[in-house]
Amino acid sequence: MQKFVGKVRISEILIWIFLIILTAFVVIPILFMVVASFMDAKQILAMPFSWIPSKKYFTSADRTFFTNFVKAIRGNNNQGTFPRNVLNSLIVALSCAATTVILASLCGYGLAKFKFRGRNFVFISIMATMMIPFEAIMIPLYMVTQGFHMINTYWGLIVPFMVSAFGVFQMRQYLLTFPSEYLDAARVDGLGEFRIFWRIVFPNCTPVIATLGILSFRNQWDNLLWPLLVAQSETMKTIPQYITKFAEEKLTDEGAMMAVAFLASIPMFILFFSLSRYFLGGAAVYESRKG
Amino acid sequence: MALMLKSKDKTVSTKTKEKAVSNERIKPKRYSIERKEARWGFVFTIPCLVFFAIFAFYPIIYAFITSLTDRRAISRTWSFSGLENYIYIFTKDNGGFPLSNSIRATLVFTLGTFIPMIIISLIVAVFLMQLRKNRQRAFFQFVYYTPAVLSSVVAATIWMILFDPRGLVNQFSNFVLGTSGVDYNWLVNSTMLQISTMLVYFWKYIGYFVILFITGLAAIPPTIYEAATVDGASRWKSFWRITLPLLKPTTVMVSIMAMLQCLKTFSTQYMFHQGGAARRPIDVITMNIYFTGIRNGRLGRACAMSIVLFCIMLILSYLQLAFTRSAEEVEY
Repeated sequence: MQKFVGKVRISEILIWIFLIILTAFVVIPILFMVVASFMDAKQILAMPFSWIPSKKYFTSADRTFFTNFVKAIRGNNNQGTFPRNVLNSLIVALSCAATTVILASLCGYGLAKFKFRGRNFVFISIMATMMIPFEAIMIPLYMVTQGFHMINTYWGLIVPFMVSAFGVFQMRQYLLTFPSEYLDAARVDGLGEFRIFWRIVFPNCTPVIATLGILSFRNQWDNLLWPLLVAQSETMKTIPQYITKFAEEKLTDEGAMMAVAFLASIPMFILFFSLSRYFLGGAAVYESRKG
Repeated sequence: MALMLKSKDKTVSTKTKEKAVSNERIKPKRYSIERKEARWGFVFTIPCLVFFAIFAFYPIIYAFITSLTDRRAISRTWSFSGLENYIYIFTKDNGGFPLSNSIRATLVFTLGTFIPMIIISLIVAVFLMQLRKNRQRAFFQFVYYTPAVLSSVVAATIWMILFDPRGLVNQFSNFVLGTSGVDYNWLVNSTMLQISTMLVYFWKYIGYFVILFITGLAAIPPTIYEAATVDGASRWKSFWRITLPLLKPTTVMVSIMAMLQCLKTFSTQYMFHQGGAARRPIDVITMNIYFTGIRNGRLGRACAMSIVLFCIMLILSYLQLAFTRSAEEVEY
């Protein structure tokens, strides 16, 4: 018995060692980003690497710990498009999150709670679009956007991502379990269909709304490929584009690069730390797809 | 002409007659409720349907049609050229970046990323389930998921600096392998470059897949393990005999999902290339589509590549569905 207990302890210790090694692997690059954004390039590439930003490495006397951030915001050739690009990213990501939530819940509600001819056809064809990867249709999508004269506009950045088939599916699955009695009661009380949706159904979908909204926000904040195609002028570019452009020209200024990466991550960190429940739930949501 | 009109009239009149008859037969009230329901169902679903028609179905058809033309971004005139684009992308070297190389790069990246990812995330998930306290598990889940909230561009930027000849990764490798001052050419050597992109992707998505596996593991009722322990099964044995078989549906689904996601990779490779790495070893299909279609303006060829990518993913999606269907039969 004693031996058995000992054995369990050893396996447990091994598990902890493994988990901690993985934690280090995951956390060190993030920590590196934060620390390095306060460092001079000389210190970032010093051997051995020291984790505490120190002034003795600074190459010029007028450098402070925040010089990197100033450089990051000023950007290439002092164009100063950084605030505008952050704003663009925020506008696009927030609009996409809002439209996804609204359109997906409308459609999911229609599919879950109404019987009509061709409902299955509608459902299956929406599901079929999950099989069409964005990467395969981006060129024709670009031509369509061009046809609508939406190149280099917010419309062009937002409209193709207004709703996702996955969102519709999630909403439908969630609303299938929503009791129809509430809806009938509201109808008897004389509430219009849109009001029923807006006053009763929508407020009751909060968990799915939060998960989908965050998913959509994150995807757009991360999106590089589509803005590369559509946003061509400096003032329409989004943050991932800004970083790519910045990295291209400031390749040797590692500190500034880390500063811009850090600045771009702050909104996501805030969102993640305050709403981590929905992030982690959002990953798990995929699992229920077969349900 | 007159005859046609007449016949049309006739059909219309019979239709209205039928309607009237059916109206008489079915209780008028119920009929109207059903019709109303159908109408509202349409009203609620139409916006999405229109959206998907314009932004998903139309583009894929458009892509197929364009792939059969010699369309270019700079000229307005174009003509059908049959399968010429397909023959071109499969046989010619497309200015040094042939599709065959892209398919190789994509497949190498996909296999090299998703197989270790699935194995390690499964192990981590099983380990996390062994932890005694829920709070510890929640903490590790949270930590492992953190890189996934960074955007891919940021992830690639961080790792580009870590992979610098004098960067942390080289220092660490030298420390572990007992060498001193060796540069492992992370971003220069073509094999190492591919490994680097895999490492970035692995780092970014490991937490995501751990959580998927934990969801699957949590669905296995603990009573089964209790029964196995009573019967004298060791932990090792119950892992192989209970956990793995019962987790098969999750594993199959997660692995195919991971595979599809890896096939679509773009940002890491693009960022590394912008940062000065060679394009050829990491020229994944999406990157080739972007360069061929947007940078070189060969829309026809890019569309042909898109269709190839679409077909590869369609086959894998079909596999996903087929596997999921067979997987659903597993019962706890």
